[in-house]
Amino acid sequence: MSQGSKMPDEVREIDCLSAVRQLWDYLDEELDDQRMVEIRHHLLTCKECLPHAEFGRRFIQALSRARERHVMPPAVRAQVMSALAQSGFSPE
Amino acid sequence: MAERLDGGTSKDESFARDAIPCMDDVYRFALSLTRDPADAQDIVQETYLRAYRSWHTFVPGSDCRRWLFTICRNAFLRSRQQTRLEVEAIDGDAESIAAAREHGAMIADGTDRLLSTVDLGPALDRALAGLDEPFRSAVQLVDVEDQSYEAAAEILGVPIGTVRSRLFRARRQMQQHLRAHAIDAGFQSVAEGGRE
Repeated sequence: MSQGSKMPDEVREIDCLSAVRQLWDYLDEELDDQRMVEIRHHLLTCKECLPHAEFGRRFIQALSRARERHVMPPAVRAQVMSALAQSGFSPE
Repeated sequence: MAERLDGGTSKDESFARDAIPCMDDVYRFALSLTRDPADAQDIVQETYLRAYRSWHTFVPGSDCRRWLFTICRNAFLRSRQQTRLEVEAIDGDAESIAAAREHGAMIADGTDRLLSTVDLGPALDRALAGLDEPFRSAVQLVDVEDQSYEAAAEILGVPIGTVRSRLFRARRQMQQHLRAHAIDAGFQSVAEGGRE
């Protein structure tokens, strides 16, 4: 379930320890729907836990940008393509 | 005549369409495993040669990156003559709590502002490179390559819970690295100066 989906009317309250314990799972969207809703609800109402979630989200987003920083050097790509061609690979 | 696979597409056409565009991703993963550009090149080449030879086993429409990452991981292990990297048991829940505690310390000394005020790329790269295997692979697959816990578990050949615990420990270690980086960069002194 996406984090922006509608909150059900009845949400089970969880404590801070439970929320923090599952915070990384929540940010990775690896929990089931019910737990995602419970933690989102907790974060909306808890001034203590929300900063941890915001920090975690920024941390993960910053890490994901490593994809843009690291691309394969052209010479390495050419070497691999040459080896593939020698093995019979011919995409044309 | 070219070997034909599904729908009249040749083996080479489908390999070029599905596997070749993933080469940057496979290179990044290989580099994270080896931490050496020359070794990474060897692993990528081995990965792609094996993938090409085994292309008939790839299921069209399935996740090609996941398939290539698995081959890459196995090529790395073969190069190191290892079958499995052992790691002590880690409690993922405890790591999550420790990460929040670590962040609390960063709030207290002002170093958490680093994440939103400067380009963290170089510091994160150093933090990631400084992680030991198998923690580095978990971060690389989930955080950088956007693989699910389940996909990472399949690639690494470990249970999902192991990916989770390795990932959470690795993130905490990276947080510690970032905090040290922030202190070195003077963020702590700015925060403390504001309280004086």
